Amino acid sequence: MQNERVVSGKNQKDNSSIEDAPFTGRPKERPFILAVTRNGHMSEHVMDYAVNVAHRMQYGILAVHVDTLPFFKDMGKRSKLFAVAMRESAALLSEKARNKEVTVEHLAELGKIGSVVNRLCRSKKRIEFVVIDKGIRLEEVARQSPVPVFPVTTTPIGQFNRNIFNNSKRKGVFAMTTMSKKRHFKSCFLFGALTVGLYAAVFANQGVVMTYFTKGGLFALLPVATVFAVSYFHGNFTSSFWSALGIEASKQTTAKRVESGPQVTDAVTAPRPDTRPRAQLNA
Amino acid sequence: MHGPISEVIQFIDLNAYTITFLFIVGFIGGLVSGFIGSGGAFVLTPGMMSLGVPGTVAVASNMCHKFPKALVGAIKRYKYGQVDIKLGLIMGLFAEIGVQVGIMLQKYILDKWGQAGSNLYVSVIFVLVLVIVGSFVMRDAIKMKRATDDTDTGTSLAKRLQQIELWPMLTFKTANLRISLWFLVPVAIATGMLAATIAVGGFIGVPGLMYIIGATSIVASASELVVAFVMGLGGTLIWAYYGMVDIRLVMIILAGSLFGVQLGAIGTTYVKDYMIKYVMATIMLIVAVSRFFAIPKYLNELHLISLADNLVGFMTKISFVIMCLALLIGASIILTSLFKARRLEKAVVANS
Repeated sequence: MQNERVVSGKNQKDNSSIEDAPFTGRPKERPFILAVTRNGHMSEHVMDYAVNVAHRMQYGILAVHVDTLPFFKDMGKRSKLFAVAMRESAALLSEKARNKEVTVEHLAELGKIGSVVNRLCRSKKRIEFVVIDKGIRLEEVARQSPVPVFPVTTTPIGQFNRNIFNNSKRKGVFAMTTMSKKRHFKSCFLFGALTVGLYAAVFANQGVVMTYFTKGGLFALLPVATVFAVSYFHGNFTSSFWSALGIEASKQTTAKRVESGPQVTDAVTAPRPDTRPRAQLNA
Repeated sequence: MHGPISEVIQFIDLNAYTITFLFIVGFIGGLVSGFIGSGGAFVLTPGMMSLGVPGTVAVASNMCHKFPKALVGAIKRYKYGQVDIKLGLIMGLFAEIGVQVGIMLQKYILDKWGQAGSNLYVSVIFVLVLVIVGSFVMRDAIKMKRATDDTDTGTSLAKRLQQIELWPMLTFKTANLRISLWFLVPVAIATGMLAATIAVGGFIGVPGLMYIIGATSIVASASELVVAFVMGLGGTLIWAYYGMVDIRLVMIILAGSLFGVQLGAIGTTYVKDYMIKYVMATIMLIVAVSRFFAIPKYLNELHLISLADNLVGFMTKISFVIMCLALLIGASIILTSLFKARRLEKAVVANS
């Protein structure tokens, strides 16, 4: 499932040096390095490695961002963040590639990494080898890839700390938000303003409010609806307020689930023994 | 509460003192509720009454502030994977029945022994339940704290009950347990009855979920928020039908309590399981002491004992102060352990 394609870096015309090569049956394609990531941001050391090798060997780079959780149940929030992160990442890689005069193509894919790599290797380009970003298991890709696969290892100095990696506990959503603090402030102000508005509306019109809200009968829905509104606006405000102050749930135990011990499931009824009378042959 | 309201209800005028008091009590109550599932509301009714709010309006407004707070807390803790919605909803539905039963019982006592008798009944139930359940929870919390393995494994009673296959069996995925509906219903009804009597059903609901049903304290306290939401919404609709809810008081309390409930919910992700039991038991036991001081007043009114009026007045005041103290101590334990754990985690991250 291909849904986005961006070509950047050196212009496609630059392929002419290879396409002008002596004719040997069919036009020779420029070989490519396939750089795969499942994170919104491709690690910079993967980019650097791919760009350096591509520059040395006169290869192109096919950078693929694979969204492995396209149907993550958060109403498309993750997908949106993924797309934004991918654009940022693509811009960075294009910049790096432009400096070294390397051709880069960007692809956004959905699905399992193994099958995406397999499909691309077979259908897309002359892919020489695959470079995988962290968060991807080597075996998963190597099993399905027809070409060699290399993970790019890194030392925990310098870039490593800056990179955002995918942690299963953080479910990938937060891993892709580069401006979370800013966002908290934004929603803090937005919901704070809405809350103030709601409170001001009620307290400025105390007389009217108290007359209608205490009428009883069907008017009972008025106070209930109001407190629901308060719990939405003020609830969101207080939540982002503490987050903006940096007071958030423990990262180690964000999902403090009770998964110890065997998972309880509904009992499966065993098939009843068949006790129907059967014809017997007494010979 | 279902009869027609004959007298004209006087709603109070707000001033800076009232607003500040309600906001602060709301915040502390919210903090405790977010952490142990309920229990922050019991100070509010007497607190509001001491500000001059009529009893019924105080109860109605307290009820009306409880369910949005429980909703916000439940959503927050659901994000942390602690809430078993199915468990909470089923409990909540049966707790509603318990509330109705509790109200009927209260009415019967009110008709038979009058207001003082009813108050005495409430106080005696308060003391009995809180002392028995509170000391049991406290003992368990201390035992868990001493044990090297701090995982919450549930009690032998819960395990035995879970073994009994009695139709209909219910499976709760988040709580990770399977139990017959017949064991859940009494816990839920008792929760509802207690909520109707002393306004805090969670003092039976959470220990019931932990020791009878077999949920961990984290899941029990989180699911109790769903129960509180269902019960609170039902109760509010009835009170609002009679026009008893003072929305201004509700909104001021909510302004504080939503800050608290968020912080309390965040706190649960930092502390060990026994901490929830510890805080809960501490609050319950101190509140029991507070209600103990309220009993002589009602005994005096029933002419069972005769004490000087100023002594009774003094004891009533002490009772209220101790009740506030219970909340304050609970809140300070929560905040201390939250910030301590946060510092520790930051130090670990910095060292790694």
